[in-house]
Amino acid sequence: MMKRKKFVPYYYIIPGLLMVLFFVYIPVISNFVYSFFRLSSYSAGKVFVGFDNYIKLFTSDIFPIMIKNNTMYAVISLIVQVGFGTIIALLLESKLTGRLRNVYRNIYFLPALISLTAVGLLFTFVYSPQVGLLNSLIRSVGLENLTQSWLGDSKIAIYCIIAMSQWQFTGYITLLMVVAIQNIPKDYLEAAAIDGAGPIKRAIHIMIPLVKEQLLVCSIITIIGAFKLFTEVYSTTSGGPGNSSQVLGVFLYQNAFLHDKMGLAAATGVLIFVVTVTISIIQIIVTKSGKV
Amino acid sequence: MTKKIGRSLLGLLLIIVMIFMTACSTPNNNDVPDGEVTNGEANDGEDNDGQVEEKKVIKLFHRFPDEPFNSFIEETVAQYEADHPDIDIVISSAQNQPYKEKIKVVVGSNECPDVFFSWSGEFSERFLREGLIMNLTDAFNNDSEWKNSLLEAQVNEYRKGDVLYGIPFRLDAKMMFYNIDIFNENNLEVPDTWDEFIEVCEALKAKDITPIAYGNKNQWPSSHYIGSINQMLVNNEIRLKDLDPATGEFTDPNYVKALEYYQQLIPYFNEAVNGIPHDMARNNFAQGKAGMFFAELVEIPYLADENPDMNYGMFGFPLIEGEGDPTLLTGSPEGFVISSKTKYPEESIEFLKYFTGPEVGKKEVQQVGWFNAGVGIVDGLNDQKLLEAYEVIKNAKTMAGWFDASLYSTIANEYLTAVSDLTNGDITPEDAMKKIQKAAKEAQETYQSGANE
Repeated sequence: MMKRKKFVPYYYIIPGLLMVLFFVYIPVISNFVYSFFRLSSYSAGKVFVGFDNYIKLFTSDIFPIMIKNNTMYAVISLIVQVGFGTIIALLLESKLTGRLRNVYRNIYFLPALISLTAVGLLFTFVYSPQVGLLNSLIRSVGLENLTQSWLGDSKIAIYCIIAMSQWQFTGYITLLMVVAIQNIPKDYLEAAAIDGAGPIKRAIHIMIPLVKEQLLVCSIITIIGAFKLFTEVYSTTSGGPGNSSQVLGVFLYQNAFLHDKMGLAAATGVLIFVVTVTISIIQIIVTKSGKV
Repeated sequence: MTKKIGRSLLGLLLIIVMIFMTACSTPNNNDVPDGEVTNGEANDGEDNDGQVEEKKVIKLFHRFPDEPFNSFIEETVAQYEADHPDIDIVISSAQNQPYKEKIKVVVGSNECPDVFFSWSGEFSERFLREGLIMNLTDAFNNDSEWKNSLLEAQVNEYRKGDVLYGIPFRLDAKMMFYNIDIFNENNLEVPDTWDEFIEVCEALKAKDITPIAYGNKNQWPSSHYIGSINQMLVNNEIRLKDLDPATGEFTDPNYVKALEYYQQLIPYFNEAVNGIPHDMARNNFAQGKAGMFFAELVEIPYLADENPDMNYGMFGFPLIEGEGDPTLLTGSPEGFVISSKTKYPEESIEFLKYFTGPEVGKKEVQQVGWFNAGVGIVDGLNDQKLLEAYEVIKNAKTMAGWFDASLYSTIANEYLTAVSDLTNGDITPEDAMKKIQKAAKEAQETYQSGANE
């Protein structure tokens, strides 16, 4: 009787296991296999090419541009989303905001609720050189010579896209940090206040160390997001002008569906997978060791 | 108690799994490739078992979801269905860019639409190489009525060698449109040669008028400039050899020269060329904010919509002295092909014949301002602009095709990227051509090893 029951729980997880197997592990493995072949989305046959796709990926002229763009996205997002996001969270939880706390929080969080494509379209209009909001604003304050073609300028296009993401996601990180800050036991803060610590000292010495783990999680979400970047770029510049705002995700998509290079796309997919898995492993190790 | 909860949980899980599995299984024939616009009658045929004779379902996939073009297609199809009660045509559509991606995904699968839109040249020829689209040569040659009802030069654009693989649905060519009022006010004459063209640009610029409206955000518009210039400068045999991925090299020095000619135009374009989409540039031209605009003839209805009172004319791309063939007309008809996997080959051909024939062509030009290859479709047409445009196409002996669609996709991408950079001043013509030559070499290797499979 007992022996039979021992296996019963395992039956229950079989469906879930199968689903994970079919929808996660098998695609990952077959993607890995495809990266050694040359094939298109419509061709019947595929040709084994060994590491050719990887060599092409790593030696392509676009590769350093993509790595730079993805890394810039990660670095700027860390500073703005996680850095400023945390500061905003601390301010929201301080006495300064008073009764309007919830209103502010919702205002900051609102952009994160809009679909990525919609935001992309919205900002295409904001950045539009002739009728765009941004250039109109600059013109209206009389700084005519500061107007730019924004998304049409090779040097600043990627930064315009990064700026758009900061607008959208800072509030999201803020919300996560607010939740973490609210979980800090009030006793610690009161004790510090009695010891004479002001609001800034309380934030630096009590609050931030206690939300360290949440900060790490947020940082890692942001970095992984930076390497999976796709919609923001695809819906605004598709990697242009030239290849100046190209990122790994868009490169993958264009090779798969525009240039009939599924193999190269798969190899790019493997690279993104390796990067994100590495970051996730670091996250797992750090959060384990980080227990207070 | 816990056992009961466990069981019901298991049951729930199984239901979820079942839903997932059915969602993944092969959908039935009536499913449209991708959740696009479909007309509701799609399933009628199969639902009424035994009562009505089963209808033959032909799936049509096009890339004109905008109005009034979409309604025109729907009406045309509805008319055909009314005349052929045994045929049920299921329409789906997608916008230009998504269409290119979607069709490639479905064309190799069993869900491939029977009749679908496809650009002539390399875009369709890659499907032809894989045996995915039907060879229409025999059907066309053996049907003299069909053959005589269409303009031969335009139909020929859908041939690879002798093999006919598609029929044009809308004819198109690129012309330089100009604002007659602006030209008159400034005492300018329509330029024939490149030097005259530059003089006109210079004169307009001196009066603070943007000479040419141009938006290259989506990168394809540049390929029409480069394609037109290449045609005049590069020897036609070399040009055709380079368009073939098996032999393309792009080493002819005239290609660099072509980019230099393009560079000469940059000061005369509006600002922020790479930040403006093509349709916004057209709108600027329509509002009289620029003197000229390099546009497709199919854009005439759009211009009429954006500014009905506009007084504009058109002239051919300015003549450049070179080794090329100046009689080539930049452009290419766009049309439909038939899947080689279709269950109803004869019915599909029959429908295609109607859909791209003179009867529909007459309505097409009246209702939406587009021409198909049908003979005599402009009889009774009053719109002077359209008649003028039709003459241009009708008199063209050979079309040069759209440069980006004629190129192997990776070379096209390299070309578009390079010209985009060139427009921003980030690259020199020599370096740009070096990149393109590299892409051409890679394409050649890919193509050759692919052919040896």
